[in-house]
Amino acid sequence: MIRSGAVRRPPLLVVLVALVVIALGETAGAAMSQLRGPIQRYAAARVDANRVAHGLSGSAEYDDEIRGQAVFLAEAGLSFFHTHAEGVGLTLFFAATLVASVVPGRRARGVLYGLLTAGGLFPLGYLVYGAGVLEWGRDTGVEFAERYVLTALGSAAIAGLLGLAAALVAARRRG
Amino acid sequence: MTPEPAWRLPPRWVLLVAVVLIGFAEVGGASMARFKVELTRWARDAMLARPEVHGLVGVRDVDERVLDEALVKFDAGLRLFHMHAEGMGLVIVATTTVAATLGGAGRGLMVALLTAGGAGYPLGYLLWSGLIPYYGVEPGKRMAEWLVWIPFGGATILALWWLAGLVALRMARR
Repeated sequence: MIRSGAVRRPPLLVVLVALVVIALGETAGAAMSQLRGPIQRYAAARVDANRVAHGLSGSAEYDDEIRGQAVFLAEAGLSFFHTHAEGVGLTLFFAATLVASVVPGRRARGVLYGLLTAGGLFPLGYLVYGAGVLEWGRDTGVEFAERYVLTALGSAAIAGLLGLAAALVAARRRG
Repeated sequence: MTPEPAWRLPPRWVLLVAVVLIGFAEVGGASMARFKVELTRWARDAMLARPEVHGLVGVRDVDERVLDEALVKFDAGLRLFHMHAEGMGLVIVATTTVAATLGGAGRGLMVALLTAGGAGYPLGYLLWSGLIPYYGVEPGKRMAEWLVWIPFGGATILALWWLAGLVALRMARR
């Protein structure tokens, strides 16, 4: 049986987070294209400012290689932020619209909105990844971003989507 | 239970543009796979016909490296068109739905900017790929930037931040 009903809008805060994440993703893409040189110079300068964290030795050849790797990872973080922000912003928008439309119960919707909105912030972890690499060194920066930001926010997104799936199954059983 | 308010759909022409864009992206992806050899051969022949544009010197070892680099960029442009067109089609649907529902008095202009910007931007990658054999990698990129990426991407970014500001204002007034 196919039933139609109004496609409902999630709370304004959820809509705002989705829009801002998509807008940040677009803006980061433009910045990567138009400001590539300044971004690379800034990243290299931050590596030089954090010599101990990066293990710079004073040997030009070795230091250049370390600097190059760190700048590459920082740029990769920005690039991952750009692609994930566009995708995750859309995921938040459409998943939250489904929650608003099919999940009964204010409390259940609130929990799912909370999880999905936290998950919508997942791409910010890649900004932390890029900045962490420059400020704390490659291994420490990557580990911090993965352990404390990407894993936490990614888990929230997965839990929110699983909760939505469970709510859809329950709604189908109720008929 | 208090039901949430409903979304308003954007105009049908907007949805048509988004669906056609996603369709182009799918066709682009399929064509890249199906006609990979033909596309590469066409681009290579066009580059060989313009040695001065690509800095070809007639020494096979040197020229092959230059041609390979340009062909990688040619292929990357097609891939980026495929990915961006799929993504921007969905971005148009989502953002114009928000604009139609919450955009207030300026929603017509906002919907137009989001639709034109979102649909036009990915075409820049197709243009870049098409320009590479005739003008080279960097000149082709500059042309695509000024003709497509900056105006259309700028329209999308401007409209997105405008819309986000309006939604934030609405929240603050409550």
